[in-house]
Amino acid sequence: MPAVEIKELVKRYGTLTALDRVSFSIEEGECFGLLGPNGAGKTTLIRILTTLLKPTSGNALVMGNDAVSDPKAVRSAIGVVPQAMTSDLDLTGFETMDIYARFYGLSRNERKGRIDEILSLVELKERAGDLVATYSGGMRRRLEIARGLVHRPGILILDEPTIGLDPQSRHVVWELLEKFRKADRLTILLTTHYMEEAESLCDRVAIIDYGKIVALDTVPGLKKAIPQKDTVELTVSGIDMVKAVERFKAMPKIVQASCSDESIFLSSERGAEIVAESVEAIKSMGGRVSRVTLKEQTLEDVFIHYTGRPIREEEARKVSFLLGAGVPTKWGR
Amino acid sequence: MNRFFAILERDLRKFIRNPLVVAMSLLMPIIYLVILGNSFQGELKNLPLAVVDLDSGPGSDRVLELLRSVEAGPRTIEVRVVSDQGFALQGLREGVFKGVLVIPADFSRNIIRKSTAELGLYLDNAETISASALRASIASGLPELKNEFISIREERAAAKLREIELYRKIDYDQTLIPGVVIMAIFLGAMTTGAFNIVMDKFLGVEESYFLTPLTKTDIVMGLIASGLFITTILALVVLFFGSLISGLYIWDAMSAAAFSLMVVVIILSTLGLQGLMFIIMGRINHPRIVGVLGGFLNVIMFFPSGAIYPIESFPGWLKAFAFVNPETYSVHAMRALLFKGVGLEAVQFDLIFLAAFAVFAVALGLVVFKRAL
Repeated sequence: MPAVEIKELVKRYGTLTALDRVSFSIEEGECFGLLGPNGAGKTTLIRILTTLLKPTSGNALVMGNDAVSDPKAVRSAIGVVPQAMTSDLDLTGFETMDIYARFYGLSRNERKGRIDEILSLVELKERAGDLVATYSGGMRRRLEIARGLVHRPGILILDEPTIGLDPQSRHVVWELLEKFRKADRLTILLTTHYMEEAESLCDRVAIIDYGKIVALDTVPGLKKAIPQKDTVELTVSGIDMVKAVERFKAMPKIVQASCSDESIFLSSERGAEIVAESVEAIKSMGGRVSRVTLKEQTLEDVFIHYTGRPIREEEARKVSFLLGAGVPTKWGR
Repeated sequence: MNRFFAILERDLRKFIRNPLVVAMSLLMPIIYLVILGNSFQGELKNLPLAVVDLDSGPGSDRVLELLRSVEAGPRTIEVRVVSDQGFALQGLREGVFKGVLVIPADFSRNIIRKSTAELGLYLDNAETISASALRASIASGLPELKNEFISIREERAAAKLREIELYRKIDYDQTLIPGVVIMAIFLGAMTTGAFNIVMDKFLGVEESYFLTPLTKTDIVMGLIASGLFITTILALVVLFFGSLISGLYIWDAMSAAAFSLMVVVIILSTLGLQGLMFIIMGRINHPRIVGVLGGFLNVIMFFPSGAIYPIESFPGWLKAFAFVNPETYSVHAMRALLFKGVGLEAVQFDLIFLAAFAVFAVALGLVVFKRAL
């Protein structure tokens, strides 16, 4: 049984189509990433899966339960870390965990053991008695991950889990997610607009843009499918550039070769592997290499290939006519 | 039940961790009692009255003497003798004086001749309350002159009243206690319960609650229970301090039975208002709207409740509103229990109305509240 199964999911707000016939499924134990720019429909999709929104049409099964007809069963089966920091600042870390554990119906004995265990896993045990208001952003995020896992759900759903965190805290969150995934065979569904996050965590990635899934595959699979490859740039002197290019074109791992006055550009699916070979080749031709640059193909290239623009284009903040900008943006789109 | 208690506990913890909120919720109704009790008193004091003596005879001396005795006794007026009538009237227009009493040049002569001797009284009738107080106080201060055939222009016939008080003597600020308690209940109900949902929505915290198996009933009932608990305690503390400040000691004024009924009135009033807040705030997501609505709701519920002015004197439409306003019944019941030493039979209709309103409001609040973003 897949952990998540989505069929022909549509969500419209008035004339705006936030999700346009989205279908995919996530296997148990898999880490699945939804990658897309702000406003692509990621949060809307997560909110439908977590029963906060009703879809206009289509089906969503989460851990075998229908998100529309049986929201309560879905809520009991999932752990969610919402995009915004949603911890009560006036409670301590332990109280937060205890209150949420009670929402999920854990008994007093179960709670004691589980809260201790999970707080030490996220390395917050020492600070459990402090008010959440005194926690850093990274600690709050870790607490929220612990909160989402307190009832041992089969799937953890995270909406932009590292947004707004500094690089170090971001890595801590990634390590934590890896740890939980290995230990509990936890299924993870996360949305992100950080390429690095998707590459380092996810088994499969779906690229979503304007409410549609434009590509879905493993990270290597996605990279392979696009024409842009790794590029090696060699700054050389003392050889005939044109001859060198001809020779490189004949090499098996090189897809494309070209040159300028001082540099030779080599295109390959495995850029790192041809660096040494190409330097050797130039030396054997009697030339001298003063600089080598390797630009590896990234998920960003994949994203640009499918959407025609880089992912970091931020949308302007939505401002409510009546209430001004103080209103938290309710949905991604 | 576990979920309900988890919501209740969370809310109570959040409340006590914000001492400023606790302090404000307690202080505001008490300060209200002090300010209202002292500014809105039955009697006015120290109203400046200019006296222009154009006569300077034995008659005018007598008038001044009587006015000075009013000044020294009830202190309603403060006499300032002014020689220039134009200056005095200018002062009246500018608000320096609240009234000008002119003693004409022929005043003493007219008294001696036993013909009608008149005094001129100019009043600032833009301020009707101080004008009528001045008029009454001068008229009562000059009865002896009246016997000496002096009439005061502007004077109205005043029927002599002998006051008979049905209950023991109650000061004005003591009569405000039920109003102050209902205000504490209103403030409590407004800043607990449903308001937490508004705040959570504003901070984006509510999402994480809606993601759990909590039901709508868990959330609404848990918040109402914590709000009820907090507000009841606030109301009782305000009742205690209010009685201490106004000198009406509840332990003397009320029997144990009356006090228990008082607690029931407070609980039912709180429940009703908590439900009402859920109906009104159930779908609001910005605290500023609550601020504006709160001030408005307080005015439309508090003033027509009879807490500071008797309902009988209202025009028909306002009377009709007072009839359906739950605060009217709370104030009526609390006043009866505090001042009249009565039992259940005197307040049972109030209790029935308050209970019915509470059931209705909480039920409708549950229906209106939407467990979704």
